[in-house]
Amino acid sequence: MRRLARFFNSFLLIDLLKGMWVTLKYTPQPAFTFQYPAERRPTAPRFRGVLRLQVEPGTGAQTCIVCDQCARVCPDDLIALGVHREAARKIKVRDYFDFNLARCSFCGLCAEVCPTKPIKALIMSEDYELGAYSRDAQVLRVDEMYDGVEIEHYAR
Amino acid sequence: MGLIEHRFDDNIITTTIDRVLTWARESSIWPMGFGLACCAIEMMAASASRYDIARFGAEVFRASPRQSDLMIVAGTVTKKMAPVLRRLYDQMPEPKWVISMGSCSNAGGPFPTYSVLQGVDKVVPVDVYVSGCPPRPEALLYGLMRLQDKIRKEGTVLRRERIILSADTEPTLVGAVSGSALARALPTRDRG
Repeated sequence: MRRLARFFNSFLLIDLLKGMWVTLKYTPQPAFTFQYPAERRPTAPRFRGVLRLQVEPGTGAQTCIVCDQCARVCPDDLIALGVHREAARKIKVRDYFDFNLARCSFCGLCAEVCPTKPIKALIMSEDYELGAYSRDAQVLRVDEMYDGVEIEHYAR
Repeated sequence: MGLIEHRFDDNIITTTIDRVLTWARESSIWPMGFGLACCAIEMMAASASRYDIARFGAEVFRASPRQSDLMIVAGTVTKKMAPVLRRLYDQMPEPKWVISMGSCSNAGGPFPTYSVLQGVDKVVPVDVYVSGCPPRPEALLYGLMRLQDKIRKEGTVLRRERIILSADTEPTLVGAVSGSALARALPTRDRG
């Protein structure tokens, strides 16, 4: 009896149709794939992307007071700050701000200690599209670090 | 490709062949599964159906270096692994490319120790460095598109000398004899 059932199962392609039914069931569903370059997934609110410098939104004035705290707290010594004082003015003037992206583990300690208020000078931004062709290009200088700096996006 | 690579002058046949071959190269980059650490999880996520690296023709993760074009070094490369990595790279057939994925393989990451290789570019030539710790799957796809851009500019059979200049790239000369007039005329990039 069981042999007969098995024979009819294979003869009438019951097994095959069972298998195809699973495929067929998933066919009308919308595609699960995320079309990355065309659509961008929103980042989580606490997402830590690449380090960025912020300026004051209205005036564009520097908010970084060159306190050197980010450079000191960085566990891998990736931030280098250059500073000098001018005779007439009281504030410090920043010469350079180098950030070695190659080693960065995106821990966010530098942005956490940044003391400037109300606008934080140093933030972990939402930019994650980082692809460099050389190792030198991974050392970010000041002009490549401002928030909203151009990133080469792809569209297709 | 060794016999015909970068050997021909521009004409209607060679430029067409060049375009077809470049298209074939850039749209079927078979990577080698080279997951070493946590970055490999993101690499697997990129190849799964949510991000689907197959949209770029790079879904066939080969277990053998003989069948792969691209090595995605995903994770911390220890000094014990480095000779193995180099050997696998040497076993890959030309043309071959390397994507260094994540901070560890870019520069050693948070491990400046005696046992970790400080950057995979110490043993193999790297084409694209993808930063992140680990990079999200989108970042890896972005790196893959950067690589496709590079392949497109490299060309295949043409001898034409071209300077690749990109936003954050050092100028690279492709398909030229070293010491040519163009190579000497290249602007040297001064970065502070």
